[in-house]
Amino acid sequence: MAEVDFRFGTGKPQVSFDLPLFHKWMFPDGTPWTYFYRKGEGYLLRFPGLGDFDVSADGLFIQAWPVPGVSEETIQHLYLNQVLPLALSKQGKWIFHAGAIDTPFGAVAFLGESGRGKSTLAASFAMSGYRFFTDDALLLEKLEDVYLVQPSHPSIRLWRDSQEALVGDDVQLAPPVQYTSKARLLSGGELGFCPESRTLRRMYFLGDGSSTDVCIERMTPSEAVMGLVKNSFLLDIEAPDAVASHFNRLADMAELQIYYRLDYPRSYDMLPAVRQAIIEHAAAEDA
Amino acid sequence: MNLSDKVTIPAQVMARTVGDETVILDLASGTYFGLDPVGARIWALMGEGRTLAEICATMLEEYEVEREQLEADVLRLAMELAERGLVVAAQ
Repeated sequence: MAEVDFRFGTGKPQVSFDLPLFHKWMFPDGTPWTYFYRKGEGYLLRFPGLGDFDVSADGLFIQAWPVPGVSEETIQHLYLNQVLPLALSKQGKWIFHAGAIDTPFGAVAFLGESGRGKSTLAASFAMSGYRFFTDDALLLEKLEDVYLVQPSHPSIRLWRDSQEALVGDDVQLAPPVQYTSKARLLSGGELGFCPESRTLRRMYFLGDGSSTDVCIERMTPSEAVMGLVKNSFLLDIEAPDAVASHFNRLADMAELQIYYRLDYPRSYDMLPAVRQAIIEHAAAEDA
Repeated sequence: MNLSDKVTIPAQVMARTVGDETVILDLASGTYFGLDPVGARIWALMGEGRTLAEICATMLEEYEVEREQLEADVLRLAMELAERGLVVAAQ
């Protein structure tokens, strides 16, 4: 996935500075998660209490500065899941908040914000014989008129209850990290990873779980554009040319007839029906 | 805002047609707005510098709709777009 020179620096306390803050990500409870600063031509991303990351203007170089006492695994995790997708957006790559799995009909992606069930769906499919590409950061590449799903990091992050319900304990785990109790399950055994690129077949935008049954509805093109925008990574949201280019590319992509809303009750018992509905839907030529 | 007004589209606002719909983006604020086919037609006529009344007159020729209903819909959309900074009222 990555064409980035990534380096670890020595531990460094986070001190306040006068760099221009241009964006921030917050948790739903208002706790800050990521601060975005301009630093020279490039950027500095600060994860309070965890570490700082310098990102070059072209997204090709990243330097991590862990807060003393923060583990290397934690910094690697932040790099893979948060910083790298943003840096890749500076390289002009297409990165989405999405999980994706391989089906006989092509790759199927599930888009949605945290908590919508992307990783659970990816794990559920992977344990049923459909290999996964990613559980959270989907990289697409365009080849003429075809969009190719690229493999990402071969791991899936799950809460403990999802791991117990879907995978069990017979799986290799990455070392724990310091900002989430989610386990990172490494691919292998029944948890199959797809290491090759595949043509994108469908994109499903995950609902909030209020549906009483499995529900799949086609989205209009404008809904698709706004959904793609909302679920895409873009580091510099203040650069008009970059935002305009991003918008135009997503609008082009929205012309495809592959976008649907997907909702279902969030219950592990429902997952077999959800998988079946998605596979049947992905197989249909005129869905 | 009233029917004799024109609206202008600020320089930082861009729009793209997708299918028969339109998506509008304000590059300054990051605001996005989607228009269905009828809204997309109104937007296109706004971009030609017509007054809202002229837009209604054109659309009455193109759609089977009551004038009163159409005028209310055009005014409502113009005001919603103005509230979001996607158009600016001009005399």
